[in-house]
Amino acid sequence: MKKKAIAKQPDSSTAIRIRMYRVGFGDCFLVSLPVAGEYKHVLVDCGVHARGDIGTMDKIVANIANETSGKLALVIATHAHQDHVSGFAKGKAVFSKFSEVGEVWLPWTEDPQDSEAAGLRKKRFALAAQLQQHFALSLNASPQAVAAVTNIAGNQVALQFLHSGFDGKAKVRYLVAGDKIRKPPIPGMSVKVLGPPRDQEFLSKMNPPAGQRYLQLGPSGQAEVGNALKPFSTRWILNRTDKSLDHLRLSHEDEKQLDRQLADPALEELAFAIDQALNNTSVVSLLTFGGQALLFPGDAQYGNWNAWLQQDGSDEILDSVRFYKVSHHGSFNATPKNAVQKMHAFAAMASTQNVPWASIPRLPLMNALAAQAKNNVVRSDSLAVKGANKAPKGPVVSNLPQNFEKGEFWYDYFIPV
Amino acid sequence: MVPAQASPCPFQRPLKVYAFDPSRGKTLGNYMTINVEYEELEPGPVGQHFVVIDYDASNQCYYAPVNLDDRGILLSAGLDPSETNPKFHQQMVYAVASETVRRFEFALGRPVKWRFQTGSRDDPRRKLLRIFPHGMQEANAFYSRELRALVFGYFASTGDNIGTNLPGQTVFTCLSHDIIAHETTHAVIDGLRQYFNEPTGPDVLAFHEAFADVVALFQHFSFKDALLNTIDRTGGLIHQMELRPEVASSQPMIQAELSSMNPLVGLARQFGEAMGLRGMLRSALGTPPDSRALDKTTEPHARGAILVAAIFDAFFTVYLRRVSDLLRIGRAGGTAEPGNLHPLLVSRLADEASKAANHFCNICMRALDYSPPVGILFGDFLRALVTADTDVVPDDDLGYRPALIDAFRSRGIRPKDVFSYSEESLIWNSPEQMYGKKLRCDGLVFDGVTQPNESTQTRNAVILHRFADQNREALGLARAKDPKTGEPVKIQVHSFHPLIRVGPDDNRPKLQFFAEFVQSRKERLDPQDSKSLEFTARGGTAVVFNSDGSVRYAIQKSLDNAERLRSQREYLEQTSENSGQAMYLGRFPSLEHLNFAAIHRGF
Repeated sequence: MKKKAIAKQPDSSTAIRIRMYRVGFGDCFLVSLPVAGEYKHVLVDCGVHARGDIGTMDKIVANIANETSGKLALVIATHAHQDHVSGFAKGKAVFSKFSEVGEVWLPWTEDPQDSEAAGLRKKRFALAAQLQQHFALSLNASPQAVAAVTNIAGNQVALQFLHSGFDGKAKVRYLVAGDKIRKPPIPGMSVKVLGPPRDQEFLSKMNPPAGQRYLQLGPSGQAEVGNALKPFSTRWILNRTDKSLDHLRLSHEDEKQLDRQLADPALEELAFAIDQALNNTSVVSLLTFGGQALLFPGDAQYGNWNAWLQQDGSDEILDSVRFYKVSHHGSFNATPKNAVQKMHAFAAMASTQNVPWASIPRLPLMNALAAQAKNNVVRSDSLAVKGANKAPKGPVVSNLPQNFEKGEFWYDYFIPV
Repeated sequence: MVPAQASPCPFQRPLKVYAFDPSRGKTLGNYMTINVEYEELEPGPVGQHFVVIDYDASNQCYYAPVNLDDRGILLSAGLDPSETNPKFHQQMVYAVASETVRRFEFALGRPVKWRFQTGSRDDPRRKLLRIFPHGMQEANAFYSRELRALVFGYFASTGDNIGTNLPGQTVFTCLSHDIIAHETTHAVIDGLRQYFNEPTGPDVLAFHEAFADVVALFQHFSFKDALLNTIDRTGGLIHQMELRPEVASSQPMIQAELSSMNPLVGLARQFGEAMGLRGMLRSALGTPPDSRALDKTTEPHARGAILVAAIFDAFFTVYLRRVSDLLRIGRAGGTAEPGNLHPLLVSRLADEASKAANHFCNICMRALDYSPPVGILFGDFLRALVTADTDVVPDDDLGYRPALIDAFRSRGIRPKDVFSYSEESLIWNSPEQMYGKKLRCDGLVFDGVTQPNESTQTRNAVILHRFADQNREALGLARAKDPKTGEPVKIQVHSFHPLIRVGPDDNRPKLQFFAEFVQSRKERLDPQDSKSLEFTARGGTAVVFNSDGSVRYAIQKSLDNAERLRSQREYLEQTSENSGQAMYLGRFPSLEHLNFAAIHRGF
């Protein structure tokens, strides 16, 4: 086996290095591009889900600072989920000391100046807060649904830090699919912004339903506790034992069923829906450097993918991909099958683990990817991390594929240029 | 109990309802009376089809039921419209739902039956559809087979553009005429066709939504006062989206100077506004025909709107054809300007509009019998419309069918496996045309006048099953043994019934017999992966028999059609993204899960 041809001491003048940190359930990728004998760095996401945290974040942030000497040319926060941004809050003290941060990219849905985006955010936060409150009170809420809403809440510190451009150091851009970046922050790097879209169909999916009990928004857009309506004055309400109900009264089981299905409408489904909606706001960027195309789709799911897969030229783009960051931790439908089939000659990394969602990553998808990538695929949870005893264990890998390297709490992938 | 002495038995029970919903107040003929077919009622009301139970699951309480036989209510033709009196709400859902059922029974020529027959045998009401006018606090209303019910929610209006609603005002979905008609239609169709709502592709759920909207919209043309007003204010051109203001003005200052939306062609205004949707929900005719729109549209309501628009395009075309002479006469006598029509002319135009609306609604409802039992596509429905109408009205001098065909064609609705858009090729085929084989099923017992009793039905079922089993190939049914697995492939016989119809042409009764045959097979989402999610694929054939038992049409969706299976897989894969269950719970959304509740919530 002739692996590690360029490994051990990667030459920063000849290879792109992509470092996937093992955060737990989340994403943190450091992309280092060789420019004039030294690396210029792009940080794509930095976060971990509170319910899938294996306690490595502090070390990771320290490693980023060390590797980059406090200089980041570009930070991409693909979308506003905890498992993609929490590190910017946890590591804020370290990141604040960075001497250079060129640009920060966020999706247009996070743009504070955009009124449409503001409306969507207002609703999303209110709904998430209400759902969280409701799940906290409800004994039979599934942990999967709770995890879905946890992901949305509590990211203000991280987002504020990103909006401020790392305290004013960086230029901040809010991206829409099709945006042209005329002067990318790294010489020799070109960028195609493929997502998120902004058409009407996409927006309608973003818009969570409002007006339900527990989920009502007040006039100021703030979530309100308990919006129980009493639709009629009490004189119309009958005592349950009232004789006039004898032929209408529901059986105990019937009433139970109605209470369950009607009074407590599909809140779990709603939790999943708003989590997926936010995934679909992901910035999908194709970074090309030295003729090598790297595809970072964030957590894009079907709606986001679909918008650009339908466009002319998408086949060529997929065919050109040499590195693919597996979308949404390898979940069902986050990498469309027809997209996988159109990628050739590529390697892939999936930052994933089966906690908090046992159904993620989805094995058939991972297998299909591995087959298409000729086994050049690595999962972050294959890495055993010292001191993280409770970390879920992924499949054991004895021989890493070519050009992959194992680190203390990361995997590296090298692409010669 | 009806007293034994000979007082005349009433035919109708007049009941007041909102023509649209409370947001229009008393304007535009918004208060109207429905003459519900008379039946004995218990408080609730509880009748032959429905039991209205005013249980509120959100507040866990019962509201007092209305007794429509109360002397005061009888003498005033029902309670007056009121938002604050739940008894009026019960009256309105009962009246509108009953009227919707009556329309179906008239068009189909047989009683409507609901899908379920559950509950204990002693319960005389186990066959009734339950209606919960205030089921829960939610901006939603839906039909649920599982709950055996129509459930209507209430909610406080929200959103930035709440139109005529006050912020925070309670909106009752059970006071929207459109929503009641829409949900009742879902229940009726589910009773007609068991597997009709299984989402095998983007057309199925869209079809359901569209059909329910079509029924609700055609109902508008029976609202006399609103219709007269609209005809007057559009100069008879009722397809126009806007009504002229009552007083012309370049800078409107008062309400009478504002133009308003044509109420006949919009749906559920109050609901739409309260949900923050701009203007009317799913307005049917808001878009000019685009032959490529179908390819780009997948959301059920948006896709369904294309079908609704096609049907209404044909309807308005026929209406204008019917009234072109009247409009010319009107012009000859002076003016045909909006707001200036002679009242007699307005009344004549209204007659023609409601007559044509009735015709179209009947054609659509009858076409259900001529639709495939599973996996309907919009193109199939066009073929069903053309076939059904040809069977009843062979002589189409007013051009209903060409109007439908052109309207569907201009919206890019293409039937599969058809050579052209000509009527002959759109009419469903008989096995003779397809395979050169004449088929006949002997021994069926039906006369079309009486509904067959239970033992006749059982016998007919056995005969039909044997007939289908012996003629699998010619009927487009899958072979008795699965070629891959060797498993037997069964045939289920559903929804068979005789039908007698009198055509308007020759006034001669036409007797036919309908049956549907359905086959199922378990499939995996990924055929190569035996652990991938499982779903049920279905195929089947709807057969129309002549009175002598010969097969007139065999409307086929074969279980063995690989293309159908492939597109169902693709569709399920895509829709599961919207459910969240597959992704986070590793559970494939059951077909029941993709139900109307979720669709109406608009997740």
